[in-house]
Order: sequence, then C-alpha cells, then structure tokens
Amino acid sequence: MWEKGSRRVVREVMYLAAAVVVIMAFGLVFSDPFVVTLAGYTCAFALFALSVNIILGGIGEVPLGQCLFFGIGSYGAAIGIGKLGLSFEIALLGALVISVIGAAVIGAITLRLTGAYFSIVSWGLTGVAMVAATNLEPITGGPLGLFGFPQITLGPLQLGNQQTYFFVTATTLLVSILFLVAVRRSPFGAAMESVRQNQHLAQSVGVDVTRVRLKAFMLSAPFAALAGALTVPYAQIVTPEVFSVGNTVDSLLMVLLGGSQLIVGPVIGAAIFTLIPQVLDLDPNVRILVFSAIIILIMMFAPGGLHQLGVRLRERLGRARDVDPTR
Amino acid sequence: MELLVQTLVNGLVLGAGYAIIAVGLTLIFGIVGIANFAHGAFFAMGGYACYLLTVRGVNYFVAVPISVLIVVVIGLVTELIIIRRSLYGESHHGSLIVTFALGQAVIAALILIFGPDPLPVASPLGQSTLRLLGIFVTAQRVFILACSILVLGVLGLWLGLSVKGQQVVAVAQNPRGALYSGINVPWIRTLAFVLGVAAAGLAGALLGPISTIYPTMGYGALIVGFTVVILGGMGSIPGAMFGALLMGVANALFETFVSVSWTPALGWVLVIATLLFRPQGLLGRAQLHRH
Repeated sequence: MWEKGSRRVVREVMYLAAAVVVIMAFGLVFSDPFVVTLAGYTCAFALFALSVNIILGGIGEVPLGQCLFFGIGSYGAAIGIGKLGLSFEIALLGALVISVIGAAVIGAITLRLTGAYFSIVSWGLTGVAMVAATNLEPITGGPLGLFGFPQITLGPLQLGNQQTYFFVTATTLLVSILFLVAVRRSPFGAAMESVRQNQHLAQSVGVDVTRVRLKAFMLSAPFAALAGALTVPYAQIVTPEVFSVGNTVDSLLMVLLGGSQLIVGPVIGAAIFTLIPQVLDLDPNVRILVFSAIIILIMMFAPGGLHQLGVRLRERLGRARDVDPTR
Repeated sequence: MELLVQTLVNGLVLGAGYAIIAVGLTLIFGIVGIANFAHGAFFAMGGYACYLLTVRGVNYFVAVPISVLIVVVIGLVTELIIIRRSLYGESHHGSLIVTFALGQAVIAALILIFGPDPLPVASPLGQSTLRLLGIFVTAQRVFILACSILVLGVLGLWLGLSVKGQQVVAVAQNPRGALYSGINVPWIRTLAFVLGVAAAGLAGALLGPISTIYPTMGYGALIVGFTVVILGGMGSIPGAMFGALLMGVANALFETFVSVSWTPALGWVLVIATLLFRPQGLLGRAQLHRH
C-alpha cells in the first residue's frame, strides 16, 4: 500500500479534478432554474449527511438529534440576517460558533451514554428545541417561523441566483469532503475508527474514548449548522420543523444508502435520495417507504452500505486489490 | 385543593395509559435486548385497526381485542422476517436503524393508505363523564385505567407464576444461562417481542377515541414510552409502571400549574436529570456498562 503512495496521490488529484469538472459542467450546462436549485439544495443537505456520518460512521452512534445543530444553523442565519440585520457571513459564523459550543455542552452530558440511550436522549433534545422554538415567539417567530429575508449574499455572491447558489453549496461540500478526508487520515481519525470498532479495546491501548467521542461530536456540529444555514436561501423560511426528526431521518437514509464507511457515501446517498424520486416523480411518502425498506434490506444483508455489495462483488471477481476504498 | 386532587387523578389516569406503552417497550428491551424504535408504529397500527373495525360497524369493545390480535400477527411476522434475522448477534447500532426504518416505513404507508389527517375512533363511552367525590373523569379514561390494571396485573402474575413467564424472566436475567438450562431462547424472544408490540397495539386502540388517530401518532407514544422507560430503568417492568405514573402526574401538574406550551419538554428534562444523577433509572439495577 505504501509503495503505491505516489500513485494514490495522482489518483486523488484526478478524482478532485473530476469533481470540479462535474460541478462546473453541471452548473453551466443545466440552465433549468428548478434543476440547478435542487442540485444546490442537495449539496447543502449532503453536508448535513456528512455531519451525521461523522457520528454514525465515525464513532458508531446513531445521532437521532443531529438536526439540533442543523436547526441552530438555520435559525442562526435567519435571526442574524432577519432580526439583527447582520450580514449572512457574520450570522453564519455566529451560528457555527454557537453550534460548536452547544455540541461541547450537550456532548459532555449525552456522550456519557452509548447506543440507544444516546440516540434517544439526543432525539429528546431536539424535541425540547422544537418546543422552545415554538414558544419563544419574540426571537424565533413562534410556530410560523421566520421569513421575508433581505437579499442573501455571501461576499460578492448573490445566493438568490440559482447558479451562484449551486456553485457556493457545491464548493462548500467539496471543501468539506477534502477536510474530512484529511481528518480521517490524521491520528485523530485513527483514534475515532478504533473507538468505533471496539471502544473497550481502544481504551485499553490508551485512547481517551470520552475525549475522542466529544471531539467527533464537536467536529460534526458545525457541518450540520453550515448545512442548516445554507438551506435558508433555498427555503426562504425557517420554522420549528427544522428540528423535526424527519430531517435527521432523511440524512440517515442518505448515509446508509451511500455507505457509512465511505467519506463520499453520504453525498452519493444524497444524490440517490433526491434525484431518483425527482426522475420517477415519486410522492415523498412513497420515497420514505421505499428507502426505509431498502435500508432494512441493506442492514440485513450489507450493513456497511450499498458500496459494500460492490466491494464484495469485486472480491468475488478476484480483483480485491483495492478492497478498502476509504484508505 | 379540589384542583390539585383533580390534577393528580388526571395524572394517574394519564400515567395508566403510558404504562401500557412503556411496559411493552421495556419488555422488548429487557428480553430481546433492542430499543424498539418501531414501537410507535405498532401503537399506530393498533389505533388504525380499531378505526377500520369500528367504521365497519364492529362494537368498540370487540374491536379492541381484534385490533390487538391483528397487531400480534403483524408483530409475529415482523419478528420472524426482520427482527430475528437482522438483530441477533448484531450491535445495537443495527437494531436501532432497522427498527427506526421500520417505524418510518409504517408511518409512510399509513399516510399513503389513510391520508395524513386525524380520523376519529368511535367509542360507545363517547364523551360521557363520571363524577366521584367531586372529581371528574371521562368514561373512556376509566376504561383505559381498568384495562391498564388488568393487563399489567395479568402480565405480572404470568411472569411471576407461570413456567413460561419464569422462562422469560430467566432470559432477561441471563440469556446464555437460560439457553444452557434448556430454555428455547429464540422462541422466548419472539414471544417477548410479540407481547411487547401487542401492548403497544392495545394502547393505540385504547387511546384512539381520546386523541383521534393519525399516522404520526406513534412518535408521541414512542417518545413518552422511552421517557418513561429511561426514568424507571430500561428493562425493569415495575420501573416502567412507576415511571409511567410519575410522568403522568408530573405532566398533569406541570400543565395545570406551570405552562401548557412547555409541557412537551418536561419529560426530556426529567430524563436528562435521571441519566445525570441515576443513570440506571429510578428502579433499574446498576450495571457495569450499558450497551
């Protein structure tokens, strides 16, 4: 594996170049505003799926409450530009900082729990957040939410323009993926993987499990907040519904469809999750029904995600040289 | 004073409904070893089965047991096809996702079949109210209370006195030891799962006339169930009953004397406090680690 290091670098640069070309081509070729906006939104939501996967694929917990940070991002951006008159950049930055601080506080409490306990309590916290968002009307606009924002701009870029919006979200997504790849290859990434595989074993060889889990949680929060904030120019409204478990469920389905052990898995999942129903013109409930059924089948037969089937197939065909595509 | 007593009674009656949901959940957790995120879906199925039957002119009191039976059949099929295959020897992570996805699929299916709007379930008890010593309780809630006492009592006796019940307890305490003693552990797990979801279905059929039925009704039930079960200690049946009554009373008191709009957050605050100060729950056994 090591002697192939330079080839790996070349291959990765090619992947990156291909991704840039695909983004450019997509943004320039498709002029249908609906398609381009949808693609932009998909990229923003894929960021949220990445965040969910830091917890699911990273430390092996099911983060049913991840939409808490998504909501912090959405409300942070909305309150910042709508109520406080801040620029989008400042509001976004504020939301990111709040999400990290929130993750530190919440994680310190909830990460003492594992498995179902963690999932249930984090889900519960989003319930509390939803009640709070509904009741704190002067700040959050109550059940009707916040809407009617001024033009949202990021530096010189008009996010109201569909093409610009797509380029901004796609670029953010690409940069985030590169960052997460770097994290996964860092010593911290290795520590995270050891915690996921066997918490007790990791502890016994000197990994500070609690610390790693908390760091992963704090790492995941700003991505969710970023996703939440970037969906605001698309949705143009923020209601207490952003805290609904439905949001987290969508992203969990994306992660599981694409595969939780692949860094770009959530992005693939997001594309499948958004594009196929659009092409087939599926009712949202049919979509949930079909994808939930697929998830059950995946968990029964290929717990690592769809790409695991591909890996297995490759092994079957005797071309097992790159069995682990994440490394 | 009158108001306080009325509130306490309301709370206890509310808690009796919670207890049925929570006991099913805790039974599945204790014996099958999974947190059943599909519990709310079975709750909703009970409600919808009861709706379908009563709409076709079946008497409500007959419809309730038939609804439970329908949920039992669905639960048995689910256990044999999905739960058993995907979960044994799996981490919690897998069971959690599978049951959660199952719940989502059921909710989506209910929306597709019945539409998203609430539907009424007709009960002959209707809106009639009983008055006793100056306290008002609706007849339907008295019926729920009676069913709750009956079901929990029978379950308790069955677990304590019958051979099968003792086998269930044995599996909860030590699955491997139970297996070595010749107990058919997979079958006991199936039994526990089916009993658990049957309780959820019963709760759905009982609460339908009060709250109307709608596809996402299970979320509320699931959240309440988990709250209660964590309060009482996961896997502990007396804990679930105690937690349910506590939650019922706390909710009623908070709603009456503090704030209606903040009540949904109360359960979670209690849960977080419990997990911080007494992680095994109020009546749960302390364990080395909780997986």
